[in-house]
Amino acid sequence: MMETTAGLPLYLVENIEYRLSEHFELRVPRLVVNRGESLGVAGPSGGGKSTLLSLLAFLDKPQRGRIMFNGHDAWYDKSDNSNKGVTHLSQEPYLLKRSVFDNVAYPLKIRGRYGSIKKKVYEALDMVGLKPNVFASRRWYELSGGEAQRVALAARLVLKPQVLILDEPTSGIDQTNALLIKEAITSFRKAYGTSLIMASHDTLWLAGATDRVIKLFDGRIVTTESANLIPGPWIKQEKELFAKKLADERLIYAVTPPHSEATGILDPSDIIIALEPPMEVSAQNILPGRISRMTAQGKERAIIVEVIVADIPLSCRVTRQGARQLGLLPGKEVWLVFKASSIRWE
Amino acid sequence: MDYILQGFLEGSRLLLAGDNETYTVVFTTVKVSSLSITASLLIGVPLGFLLGYFEFPGQRHIKTVVDTLLALPTVVVGLFVYAFVSRQGPLGELGLLFTIPGIAIAQTILVTPIVVSLTATAIESLDRRLRPTLVALGARGNQILLTSVMEARHGIAAAAVTAYGRAISEVGVSMMIGGNIKWHTRTITTAISLETAKGEFALGMALGMVLLLLALIVNAMLIALKKKA
Repeated sequence: MMETTAGLPLYLVENIEYRLSEHFELRVPRLVVNRGESLGVAGPSGGGKSTLLSLLAFLDKPQRGRIMFNGHDAWYDKSDNSNKGVTHLSQEPYLLKRSVFDNVAYPLKIRGRYGSIKKKVYEALDMVGLKPNVFASRRWYELSGGEAQRVALAARLVLKPQVLILDEPTSGIDQTNALLIKEAITSFRKAYGTSLIMASHDTLWLAGATDRVIKLFDGRIVTTESANLIPGPWIKQEKELFAKKLADERLIYAVTPPHSEATGILDPSDIIIALEPPMEVSAQNILPGRISRMTAQGKERAIIVEVIVADIPLSCRVTRQGARQLGLLPGKEVWLVFKASSIRWE
Repeated sequence: MDYILQGFLEGSRLLLAGDNETYTVVFTTVKVSSLSITASLLIGVPLGFLLGYFEFPGQRHIKTVVDTLLALPTVVVGLFVYAFVSRQGPLGELGLLFTIPGIAIAQTILVTPIVVSLTATAIESLDRRLRPTLVALGARGNQILLTSVMEARHGIAAAAVTAYGRAISEVGVSMMIGGNIKWHTRTITTAISLETAKGEFALGMALGMVLLLLALIVNAMLIALKKKA
């Protein structure tokens, strides 16, 4: 099996379409996820992240197109039984009305894997930072939201899946629990080389925890970079120049949006960070902001700096050397410079 | 007022003294209602599950009919079953009239709609995340169905308790099909009705107290189950 599938991508998504409602349709012409790869899925709410994830988890079937998994058309090649290696954790996980132990043991039991079940369950609980002796016998209603989320994650990790698909694993829970979940995911990947596909609003964490990030907007993959999305309305200024008004009355300039409500895409590499407002530059956009967070991105030697401009967080990519030279730190006030024409449209 | 108080005191004495007649009536009641509840669960839970879990044409109409049957008058069930099991009836040869199995069958008809309706409601109100969660965890076919029933177990138990409450407290069916035969088919409700008519308050009071106690136990169980559901 390994020999025949070794050269193939884990997922090859071709021309899939999935209509969720009259107003929303997900369309992915092509997406490749390689074995052992970690893919981040970002984008605003309602952009199609959850839909894409449930399609990749084979929970929903695309109405058009196909998803090749390990070289097999997962929905039509039943002999492959390919979805056994894929496990999915939804945004609001549901715990069965049983003890924590039984919740984590459930996926093992339904697969008939009764061997050393206690050891496996305890290991999984340990991985998510829940003391087995304390939590194993707890009932489902005796857990906080964050603990429940961790139990749900343990119920996925216990299978040691080939692919772990996580939909907003840290949304709606407190920072401590979120941190424990992040740690569990990172150390699990390190230990088992599991492929990870994960959606999150936390773009900085996503950039740090995954090899690459795709961004979904309105059911389309708008970019495969951790690009900034700047929603409209865009108001005509002069000639081909349009502007979006920020909360502090400053303007972000862009060139000829397709319509006034269009969402602009701004690549983090197109933004220059300066410590003083630059003089005599041709760029239209010179905006003050404050660094909120910084993270190292994936395998690349780059730093993603999140700067809050008025009320909009903008991600900028700088080299490690650049970050060091400018002395960039969270809290520092900086200026962002980018051309109006850097804002692209899909 | 005195005779009410006297009836109450005399009833308490009968219960405490372990009066044979009183306890025979209590045991008959428990026996009949246990039989009918077992049968109604065996029939009603699978039907309720089908009605609540799957979507099919005519489902709403069936649900409406079942919900209407919740208010089935006991005497109508009694009449209907009587027509079948009396000597001239199609099932007359089975000799079910004035027997405990006869009452149990009629009570089963009476309470099965309760089990079906409440089971369907319990299944319908399962969390919408349950099915995708089970699929994501790798459950298939029957595993999904069985786990869904397990998830609705408190609701189903509440259905059983509600149905049991109806079975122990009904009087029409027990009277018409059982015939209120002393030492044989006399249940708490038929006994109370007869003793009251005779002016024998003591036995009626004693049995009334037992019935209230049973109802209290049933309700306590129901409250506990609803909390967990």
